[in-house]
Amino acid sequence: MKALGLTRRELLRTAAAAGLAGALPARAFAEPAAAGDWSPGAPLPWRNWSGLQRCVPAQRLGPASEAELCAALRSGSGVVRPAGAGHSFGALVPTSDTLLFLDGLAGVRGVDPAALTAEVWAGTRLGLLGPELHSRGQAMPNLPDIDQQTLGGALATSTHGTGAKLGSIASTARALALATPGGELVECDAQRNAEVFHAACTSVGALGVVTRATLANRAAFRLVERSRFVRLDDLLAGIDAARDANPHFEFYAFPHADVALEITTVESDEIPAASGPDDPEALYLLRTLFRITRVLPGGDRLYSAFLAAQPASARAGWSHEVLAHSRTVRFNEMEYTVPAARGPDCLRAVLETIRARDLDVCFPIECRYVRADDVWLSMFHQRDGFSISIHQFAELDWRPYFGAIEPIFWQHDGRPHWGKLHSLDAARLAELYPRFDDFQRVRRALDPQRRMTNAYLSQILGP
Amino acid sequence: MSLTARTALLIGALLACSRSGEAPRAELSAGAARAYQTACASCHARPGTGAPLAGDEFAWAKRRAQGADVPLAHTVNGFNGMPPLGTCGLCNEAELRELVAYLAGVP
Repeated sequence: MKALGLTRRELLRTAAAAGLAGALPARAFAEPAAAGDWSPGAPLPWRNWSGLQRCVPAQRLGPASEAELCAALRSGSGVVRPAGAGHSFGALVPTSDTLLFLDGLAGVRGVDPAALTAEVWAGTRLGLLGPELHSRGQAMPNLPDIDQQTLGGALATSTHGTGAKLGSIASTARALALATPGGELVECDAQRNAEVFHAACTSVGALGVVTRATLANRAAFRLVERSRFVRLDDLLAGIDAARDANPHFEFYAFPHADVALEITTVESDEIPAASGPDDPEALYLLRTLFRITRVLPGGDRLYSAFLAAQPASARAGWSHEVLAHSRTVRFNEMEYTVPAARGPDCLRAVLETIRARDLDVCFPIECRYVRADDVWLSMFHQRDGFSISIHQFAELDWRPYFGAIEPIFWQHDGRPHWGKLHSLDAARLAELYPRFDDFQRVRRALDPQRRMTNAYLSQILGP
Repeated sequence: MSLTARTALLIGALLACSRSGEAPRAELSAGAARAYQTACASCHARPGTGAPLAGDEFAWAKRRAQGADVPLAHTVNGFNGMPPLGTCGLCNEAELRELVAYLAGVP
């Protein structure tokens, strides 16, 4: 999620103008996340970014080369799960056997300046990849708004940014190297081992370990991002034009409010008037404002008025500097991608359900467009998508909220994000993906012993 | 050299490195140095994230007062905005201790 273009300073200014400043804390203190249970000397657990997923693996492997990785896969036994950066919310990683980290396989292996491609090690964090590519004159065409993930994890889960003409990161892969569970290194692309390639571009790590990918990039480019609050109805009325006019277009809808934060990002060398840095902890103050206004008569209107009073803001820079945002408020997340044309109606249904059930949630709802692709298990497989992400603060129980909303996504033909929370099993997912059976055929061939399958993968892909 | 002078030099070096995006020059093991660059620096060397900056004496003083184990447990378990293990899943306990001490400016 982006940093909302809000700052604590502006929210406090607005609250003060409404006479509520005395009810607010001097600063927004972060509330503690769920309590941990590790103490020094105990076996070290692995936990994901939000803290929801946890395991204590028998061993952690951090191979320094593909040869070392393949040897470990050949000689090992038990379940092996690649952990990436731990930014998935679902239980893709936990195992009591072996966790695999590709920290030793990171960085750019080489670039082709003419073709504007780069071969990148899968353990590279996206946040470090941007500057490295930039130093070689290249940039990824798009980025997610969080850049802490590894490239391997982003590919495995079909991670994406926003832009109706821009695909997921997996859709930009032109070639992969895959270490199979049997310890063989397979090079693949659309011509060579093509079925492995189409399956492995997004595989939730079920086929082996992607060690590197050749990415189709573009020349480095600059962006200007503008954020402003608008009436949600107005935004939805003009959404097609806004989507088409801006290479990167997204917005946040606010539960219990009639406004939205519209974010339009275009290529430009312009340097707009400075508006100050993001304030990633502004979400805590947003929650405080929500709680205060919620108990007041006409609270929803007051809350909307606070949001609408926030000033517009702008950020400018190279693409990797603008597209990604700092995230220090931890949360859990569910995201479904519905067919692009059904997105606005689906969002309206989500907001109406929140209102009708009076769900006590305020975390903004992120809405993004993503172009169709041909990756077999991509959420955008052969259809343009509208991704709707709902969040809950990490220290709060996400289940009542997500449980109330998930059936709406089903009614709109939604496909869940592979790295985020959902309740679908393999039978239901098979109905959503026309190449699901083809993927399973490749899976059977590459991992007949299911060494890459933990309990969660058994649920979503079948045993 | 006095502790204060050493701390000032360390902070100066850390801030300079933060601006350049390079790992601070100090004695970290190879694993911890890689973890710093890969994981820690994205928040602890970037002003405005809410995370205490590496070597920020004011921000770390109260944390140092808790002793070594409390910040370490917070690191492993996750605490407020700090993600579990600082997103360094490969780090072992010794490396995490090393990194916490390093960020806190413990000599």
